[in-house]
Amino acid sequence: MRTLFLNTKDLPDFLNNLSKEYSVYVPSKIKGKGLPCDFGFKLPTHDYLWEKLSAVKKEDLAFNDYRSIESLRAFFTRSKEKLVLSDNENKIAVFGVKACDLFCLKIQDFVFSGGEIKDPFYERRRASALLISGDCLSFKEACFCLALEINPYPGEGFDLNFSVLENGFVVDVGSDKGEEAIKASAALFAPATSQALAQREEKRNALARNLSGHLERHKIPSKDVLQEIVKAGYESDIWQAEAEKCVECGACNFVCGTCHCFLLAEDRFGNAHERVRLWDCCSYANFARVAGGANPLKLRYQRVRNRYLKKFDFFPENFAISACAGCGRCIEACPAKIDIRSVLRKLNEEKSLSAR
Amino acid sequence: MRKNPYQPVEADVEEIIAESPVIKTFALRPREEIPFATGQFIELSVDGIGEAPFTPSSDPNNKERIEITAMNVGSVTAGLHEIKKGQAVGIRGPYGKGYPLNEFKGKNILIVGGGVGLAPLRSLIFALLSQVNDYKKIYLRYGAKTPGDIIYKDQFSHWQEHIDIELSVDKGDSGWKGRVGVVTMLLENFKEDLNNTVSIVCGPPVMMKFATLKLRELGFPPENIYLSMEKNMSCGLGKCGHCRVGKYYVCKDGPVFNYAQLQGIPDIWD
Repeated sequence: MRTLFLNTKDLPDFLNNLSKEYSVYVPSKIKGKGLPCDFGFKLPTHDYLWEKLSAVKKEDLAFNDYRSIESLRAFFTRSKEKLVLSDNENKIAVFGVKACDLFCLKIQDFVFSGGEIKDPFYERRRASALLISGDCLSFKEACFCLALEINPYPGEGFDLNFSVLENGFVVDVGSDKGEEAIKASAALFAPATSQALAQREEKRNALARNLSGHLERHKIPSKDVLQEIVKAGYESDIWQAEAEKCVECGACNFVCGTCHCFLLAEDRFGNAHERVRLWDCCSYANFARVAGGANPLKLRYQRVRNRYLKKFDFFPENFAISACAGCGRCIEACPAKIDIRSVLRKLNEEKSLSAR
Repeated sequence: MRKNPYQPVEADVEEIIAESPVIKTFALRPREEIPFATGQFIELSVDGIGEAPFTPSSDPNNKERIEITAMNVGSVTAGLHEIKKGQAVGIRGPYGKGYPLNEFKGKNILIVGGGVGLAPLRSLIFALLSQVNDYKKIYLRYGAKTPGDIIYKDQFSHWQEHIDIELSVDKGDSGWKGRVGVVTMLLENFKEDLNNTVSIVCGPPVMMKFATLKLRELGFPPENIYLSMEKNMSCGLGKCGHCRVGKYYVCKDGPVFNYAQLQGIPDIWD
């Protein structure tokens, strides 16, 4: 991996050069919801949305402190799309991807690019996309990646990674595609000095320390026990209690970066029918229903539980990793304030109590 | 490999056979060959309505003609039941793992079916009968709600040459001379070397549950009980997420499972 340095003032030029080959998406800052309580941490509440570079004013171009509201998967599977293969795939470059996003993409890759039959829609988009990630500079109240042993700075899975320093960026080149992408801007990049690397290290460690401090209060069980506690809690009353709050809006599913379930349907276009695919939600009552009416996920508590079993049991069994990156998007999106951190904590407490 | 795995092949409806008031068999001639192994399933689409999974009920050795036996219970099957000879439907597949015929060789085979669950089992019967000398004795125990709900009536006499068949209905009528009661009743007196017998069960979930429990009670080892699981298999590729059972996707790890694979998973019969 090559590590370079880019001056802050040169970022717009680099992105403009990129936009000659790619449709470039950058995070734009928006106002977020306020926080009821953050234990005096004075955590930021603003948010980010990905927008086309052409829609963002040059002076508004900024490096995002943390992950955006939406997950990365919308770039690779659409919330609704016709299943007709096109010959030319639009090349996209996404700037401001975070470590949690890259982790989630591993799950999407496993689902859509894995198995005996690959998904050509996903594969084409994935192959033509350039991922430019960045270290987190801060975190939101809902962020808990570190509790799942995912660092708030990317280590793999990116084409380029940007780490912010006072006057510029340390840029890791993580792939051939990344190398290719900086060629047109070669003059803007210099080798990274050891001083810059040391600064980056310091920043990364400081952020991880802060985040650990924040997470202590949440008592999130260790990553190694998650599968065990979710399975052991199969008959727990926790699911019923959470289900009483759930309004089945599907927000947790839709904002989740590892959720991948989809519905195949026929949709009418003029006089013809075409096959479409829509993001689906295991929170919805008919998700598992079969013709004739049998429904293994008939009751809401079964569906709430299903979500945890899928993420913390199914994926570890089949792919050796949990399908949760700790991005906390589901926590922020839930109108009923169902909090995955506290569900896991309660399951863990129940398990420890019953072990006594 | 097809480039778009979600795109079905067109298949012409060649013949429609009424099996019962609510069950029809559709003989389909796909415009591209779709060779399947017995027990595998396909996704059948009716234009403008959608897709649903079906395990063919026909002989897997016949590559040109696939038969689907469908009860009119859902939106796709309702559309299918309206279809006329000469119209076309779509087929994708085949998907999943079928019956492991190699593991059945040299063994007694006890087939337990309920209602329209005989459809996949008929395909299995065709496959077994095409190499009947590979297996020891074959038994069929089949139950239906009423005599009118028994499907493939005209085929039993032919099968009887090679298969020991017993039927029961939940509720008889004036013409019914056979047994009355649930299908598990037909298993009571089953006497064979259970370690050298496999049982294959297909039917409604509640029937599969009680048949499996009965077989276990009789002493069948869990790995000798094969079940055709029905879940909401939609994409058939292990991607859409609807048919998860424990660590499995029914569409790719099944639909045929042995009970040893499933017995530790809670609520599999729901």
